[in-house]
Amino acid sequence: MDFLRNLPFFSIMLAMFTGIISSAVNGRTARRLTLTMVTAVLVMSALTLSYTEQIGESVTYLMGHFPAPWGNEIRFGTLEAFLALYFSIIMLLSVLGGWSHVITDIEAGKENLFYVLIDMMMSSLLAMIYTNDLFTGYVFVEINTIAACGMIMIRQNGHGIVAAIRYMVMSLIGSGLFLIGISLLYDVTGHLLMVPAHNAIEQIVTDGIYYTPLLVIIVLISVGMAIKSGLYPFHSWIPETYGYATPTASAILSSLVSKGYIILLIKIFYRVIGFNIVISSHVLNALFAFGVIAMIMGSLHAIMQTDCRKMIAFSSVAQIGYIYMGIGLGTKAGMVAAVFHLLTHAATKSLLFISAVGLYEVSDGRTDYLGLRNAAYRNRVAGIAFSVGALSMVGFPMLSGFISKYLFATAALEKPHKMLITLVALIISTVLNAIYFLRQVVTIYSGRPGEAASTSHFIKEAIAESTFSNRFASIALILLNLFLGLFSEAVIDLISRGLNLFA
Amino acid sequence: MMNNNATLLIPIILPILCGILTGMFGKLRLRARYKGIAIAGMLAAEAVIVILALRIGRVFVVGSINSDIRILFRVDALSRLFGALVAFVWFLTGIYACEYLKKDRHFDSFFAFYLMTEGLIVALSVAGNMITFYMFFEMMTMLSFPMVMHDRTHEAIRAGLKYMFYSVAGALMSLVAIFMLTPYGYLGDFKAGGILDIEALTGHEQVLLVSALLMIVGLGTKAGMFPMHAWLPTAHPEAPAPASAVLSGVITKTGVIGIIRGVFYCIGPRLLAGTWVQHVWIILSLITVLMGSMMAYREPMFKKRLAYSTVSQVSYMMFGLSVMNSVAFTGAVSHIVFHSLIKTTLFLVAGAVIHQTGHTRVDELKAIGKEMPVSMICYTIVSLGLIGIPPLSGFVSKWYLASGALMSGTTPYSWLGPVILLVSALLTAGYLLPVTIRGFFPGVNYGVGTPNRAEPDAIMYLPMIVMAVMTLILGIYPGFITATIQLIAEGIF
Repeated sequence: MDFLRNLPFFSIMLAMFTGIISSAVNGRTARRLTLTMVTAVLVMSALTLSYTEQIGESVTYLMGHFPAPWGNEIRFGTLEAFLALYFSIIMLLSVLGGWSHVITDIEAGKENLFYVLIDMMMSSLLAMIYTNDLFTGYVFVEINTIAACGMIMIRQNGHGIVAAIRYMVMSLIGSGLFLIGISLLYDVTGHLLMVPAHNAIEQIVTDGIYYTPLLVIIVLISVGMAIKSGLYPFHSWIPETYGYATPTASAILSSLVSKGYIILLIKIFYRVIGFNIVISSHVLNALFAFGVIAMIMGSLHAIMQTDCRKMIAFSSVAQIGYIYMGIGLGTKAGMVAAVFHLLTHAATKSLLFISAVGLYEVSDGRTDYLGLRNAAYRNRVAGIAFSVGALSMVGFPMLSGFISKYLFATAALEKPHKMLITLVALIISTVLNAIYFLRQVVTIYSGRPGEAASTSHFIKEAIAESTFSNRFASIALILLNLFLGLFSEAVIDLISRGLNLFA
Repeated sequence: MMNNNATLLIPIILPILCGILTGMFGKLRLRARYKGIAIAGMLAAEAVIVILALRIGRVFVVGSINSDIRILFRVDALSRLFGALVAFVWFLTGIYACEYLKKDRHFDSFFAFYLMTEGLIVALSVAGNMITFYMFFEMMTMLSFPMVMHDRTHEAIRAGLKYMFYSVAGALMSLVAIFMLTPYGYLGDFKAGGILDIEALTGHEQVLLVSALLMIVGLGTKAGMFPMHAWLPTAHPEAPAPASAVLSGVITKTGVIGIIRGVFYCIGPRLLAGTWVQHVWIILSLITVLMGSMMAYREPMFKKRLAYSTVSQVSYMMFGLSVMNSVAFTGAVSHIVFHSLIKTTLFLVAGAVIHQTGHTRVDELKAIGKEMPVSMICYTIVSLGLIGIPPLSGFVSKWYLASGALMSGTTPYSWLGPVILLVSALLTAGYLLPVTIRGFFPGVNYGVGTPNRAEPDAIMYLPMIVMAVMTLILGIYPGFITATIQLIAEGIF
């Protein structure tokens, strides 16, 4: 069984090497390689999860033969393995759900590059989940950024390039701040491995020195990661990016990329700085405040959109706000709620993007919300999938969104002075969510009689094949959503045990 | 006690399943008559099953989503009463709707949602704890709003969305109240008289009161209570007549049932009696009673007038609950039953008028009694019932409401309440009876010769006759209903 300890390392390496090989093959082969790789990662993560469940503690894996404080480490516990598993499921379904549009959106002969980027993205996400070393974390943050930029601008139209540049600028500011943060941390502690750095920080705090540098470090790292994951005042790159990228890219960017940074941030809070020290620094209150503002402003912006994809994108701004609000509560329950919402949002948002694709396909490629009139009758699976996604975002019982709201509300009860704000923000945001999502759901189920769109200018065979894989992905994501909504107990338990192993 | 009885699931799942099947196969080119027979058969079967399956004391635990959220069904006298009422009204309105919507393009989608909504309302009436109730309440909202926007016109969609947003906002208010009270044992199984942990509550009374008010206002949205009543007069006129009938007759009552469950079965009247929450509740309900009647009085559109009348009448029930004694409680719950039959009939008549003559305004209804005598006689009987004239059923419930208020000792409301109820009854006469009077006595200038008969098909007026006769019978022999409710009330107070 000890062999299983190697799997996280293997999965990162596998993803990277698939990327390297994919650059030399054609688009179709590259897609198959990617799907195989993601499936393999999925299996390996499942094995890792069962392994960590058996031993019941987190495992530190040395890369090379240099022990701490010099070598590079991977560390994984229940939560890490589960996240890797979950991310690979979402990644697989996102690629399946939108691959036909990769063919139409991307210049012929360059499709393989798109899959190279996806492979890079996968490896960087896995590395961010598993790494126990701050600098490795930084390196993969950058790889992630580059892969994401490529994925945005590979659809070579004007919008895509503007969006990519915007994303690049914001993202580099974020990673720049993060880099300064970890450099300062290295100055103060002398370590880049997480555990020794944590010990050094505890020593510093007990000695009562370096109070200001430590605060600056926490602020820089939090703000850096907040920019990269698109927390409210730094959200300006989100709508363009998610709205104009090819659907697979939108789904991956919204449901996985921003989540990877949040996980890295949570990891740094728990494992490097120490959650109690973070709480006493009051940075969390700022995250809480911005989270609440994001919940409301994101939804307000979403209401004003006429383009369906931009609407979904702005809804992401609000949902990221939920997650930061949960983190900002500064309790274990809040953190569990935040991580659960991260899963909810990953499943729901990719469901929405993937099912929206199914709806445009049958609406002449129009993406404005009136253009989708009657679309649900033309593509029933996509219609149902979109409705399920929308209802989940609104917090319909039995779907995952309801459990998230429930967890946030109960978590808020433990913090009397943040309770009222949280509950009010939850209500307002949910009502606003209902306004724009249900408006869209009603639109796709109604319209002028006899209105039907042709699908002429799409490649016919791509549609025929896509509808199958798109339907499959939509149905799988609906099931994932129902699973989170109905069997949340097990998942919450797993998150809560995983967070205990995190520190 | 905990012997699971899966038969409870049948009356819930059957209509939902039938609804899904209707949605899937409703487009088949069958003759409308066969479709109608199939649907009437389903509804009749459902009504029988509800009576048979909802035996008091039956329990079914569906499962638990997590340690706090258990999905549990349990039948008590209130659920049996309400379940039977729902099935009865649904059956009669369904028969009517088969004829009313015979030529409608969206016949199948209407019945798909109609049937599914019935299943969910039965489910929420047998819900065994507040979170189960909430879940089915929310689902019922989502599946009933397509009925409102049935016509798919711009206005209908707007009205549907308005209904939706008000309901979602209201439901969320109650959800927040549920969350706030969860630490004090709010999610336990319903028990008459309350389940809260008094010891844990000490020192948190304000939390309790604020949550109770949120619960009342939130669920009061569905019941059309001021300040969240505005969806009701918009949604009813836009919906097709059978949908407005059940919306007014049954769905608004789910809000009242929710408040009975949330306040009398979870919080307990003892914790609220005499607090500011009770006063706010009484004032809100009285404002709504008076405002609804006055708005109805000056409303020229027939269906909208009836909608405002619903606003007013449902708050009679709210007033009865808010004074918190067993007599007024009996009045409130019996008014649920009586008003449900009466208002459903009124909307069916309004629908028949639109269907046969196309008139939507009250002033167009001159001589309507000559054209549609059967429907208008039913209309007159139930109108008199709603005003509260003996020996019709409305008199009984209003008698209990007024006498309960008088003995409640919550001055000044103990006398102010009955006065407002009386004024409102006068206004009720003022807005309902002109239709009858001008319908049967159009005046000297009315054209000579025989009026053109516009009586609808028997399938449409039979349900009205049945409910009008029920109004009369329940007015003369109310004992069987009131005795049941008094038993329920004794458990609570």
